[in-house]
Amino acid sequence: MRLLLVEDSVPLADELMASLTRQGYAVDWLADGRDAAYQGAVEPYDLIVLDLGLPGRSGLDVLKEWRAQGLSTPVLILTARSGWAERIDGLKAGADDYLTKPFHPEELSLRIQGLLRRARGLVNQPTLQAAGLSLDESRQCVSRGNESIELTSAEFRLLRYFMLHAGQILSKGHLGEHLYDGESERDSNVIEVHVNHLRRKLGRDIIETRRGQGYRFGTSA
Amino acid sequence: MRSIQQRLGIGLAAALLVCGLLLILGARWLVDNALRDYLGSGLQTESENLLVAVVRGANGLQLDEQRLNPAYQRPFSGRYFEIDAGEPRWRSRSLWDHVLERPTHVGLTRHLINGPGDQQLLVYRADYQRWGQKLSIVVAQDYNPLLTSFSRMLRLGAGIGLVALMAILFLQRITVRRALKPLERVRHQIAQLQQGQRSQLDAHVPQELELLVEQINHLLSHTEDNLKRARHGIGNLGHALKTPLAVLISVAERQELKAHPELQNTLRDQLEQIQQRLERELRRARLAGDQLPGVYLDCEAELPSLCTMLKQIHGRELTISYHFAPGLKLPWDREDLLELLGTLLDNACKWADNQVELTVLKKKACYEVSIDDDGPGIAPELRRDILERGARLDEGVTGHGLGLGIARDIVDNCGGALSLENSPMGGLKVVIRLPLRASSQ
Repeated sequence: MRLLLVEDSVPLADELMASLTRQGYAVDWLADGRDAAYQGAVEPYDLIVLDLGLPGRSGLDVLKEWRAQGLSTPVLILTARSGWAERIDGLKAGADDYLTKPFHPEELSLRIQGLLRRARGLVNQPTLQAAGLSLDESRQCVSRGNESIELTSAEFRLLRYFMLHAGQILSKGHLGEHLYDGESERDSNVIEVHVNHLRRKLGRDIIETRRGQGYRFGTSA
Repeated sequence: MRSIQQRLGIGLAAALLVCGLLLILGARWLVDNALRDYLGSGLQTESENLLVAVVRGANGLQLDEQRLNPAYQRPFSGRYFEIDAGEPRWRSRSLWDHVLERPTHVGLTRHLINGPGDQQLLVYRADYQRWGQKLSIVVAQDYNPLLTSFSRMLRLGAGIGLVALMAILFLQRITVRRALKPLERVRHQIAQLQQGQRSQLDAHVPQELELLVEQINHLLSHTEDNLKRARHGIGNLGHALKTPLAVLISVAERQELKAHPELQNTLRDQLEQIQQRLERELRRARLAGDQLPGVYLDCEAELPSLCTMLKQIHGRELTISYHFAPGLKLPWDREDLLELLGTLLDNACKWADNQVELTVLKKKACYEVSIDDDGPGIAPELRRDILERGARLDEGVTGHGLGLGIARDIVDNCGGALSLENSPMGGLKVVIRLPLRASSQ
């Protein structure tokens, strides 16, 4: 899952980057509204965390522009402005959720999880369920029935993406774009390696290879 | 204060009445004088005619009856004479048995003298010398018929004057009303302003009102700017304080601190306190209250979004329904009201099982907003406590509920009242009554 964090306060952004990366998200960070307006529309983000009080351009303006362009990426507004009137303005501008500062880091990660599932049309449950598997995002482990299986960080990220897109054909390039932030080196072999690891832990059939097209998760179940 | 129109009307009517009365009295005096003068000179001629009619006969002086006006022969004809030549004395036959009072002075008497019947006589006395004899001639004429027709004329004049007065008052009323139309329009616009139907006064007004309207508009935009600036400042302050606070709260949750649970708890508690205090004071500072007319909350535009938003926040199987008359606008600051409704609805959503209902009604004396939920409700004996303490009860639910405290602040600011009742849905019913503005009644 690749997120865009738009926040002008460096210490807060540092904290959030650290905590979100720990939770297995690939995070790009921008501090200026103008940069965000451009990059948010161009890069394939799965979710955008947007502060409203930005230098350059106000967050609400940026959000309105994205929605006018037809960008449907879920946007979570993060702001110090806590009035209901402002929340409604945010909602009208096209925000999907609204979190006021200060907040507990846990609250933010729960909101992000919820938004990502809602965007895929999934019910918001404590664990993510697909193809007979149930993924605990806070503990980063997966279980099938009563059997609990430990995952590495990279495997967790890949599996979460597969489970949120069960039944869809995902190319290596697509996976690379959504699993790594804009600064990492993208090597399709790495994805292949992680897919093999997942197959070894969860069974061969769990991820199907479609030659020339990519991978498909959860068709066997 | 009475209206300008009324004052103008009463003033004009009084002035016209006084003038009319003076005019009538003056006219009466002038015409009376002129008539008496005219009749006086007639009487003088008459006395001279009588003098000529006195001739010297065989037995001394004689009155030549042939030369007399026939009116002197007919009894009570209204024309009389009396000639006193010492001896003999002649009286006109028309006097009959009436004794004519002799004036003491020569010339026209000032007062009218009672004549036969109810006649009022104008009497003229002239003294002559003829043939070495003194002659005192008194002639009199009834003034009553003239006086009667003269009074009739005056009454007619007064009648016409009254009709004219009415007509003038009526025309004046129309003129004044037309002249005051711009004032009336401004008054109407100010009423609209207070009801939140407009935010500025129309600047197309007559010269006399231009400054006033300009000044009001200036004040309005000034107040609005001030409010905006204050809110912006508070927003910035909030931003400046809350972002570092968010960092601190995040830091307090770090793995490294988990080794020192005491330290972590103290940090959490203190940060929580700072956050609550900050939130409450900033919210209070943002309230606009009654200071700005011309603002409103458009129920149709805002309430559905608010409900959608609350549903999003509280997720689960919650039905939030709302009822209000189409086009209903509440004449208070949008942010204040949204804050109020948002806070109360949020509270209701926290406690409700699966239903929350918002109703906004415009009643005769107030706007009534009620929020019902089907949750556990609050026992009647606890309600007063909760209102007085500024709502501690709900603070436990999520840790940062300010609930009824802020709601009460807003309601007080708007001059309204908040009460807690039993909801027919089984839970709590929060009723807010906001007074109608004076001008919208």
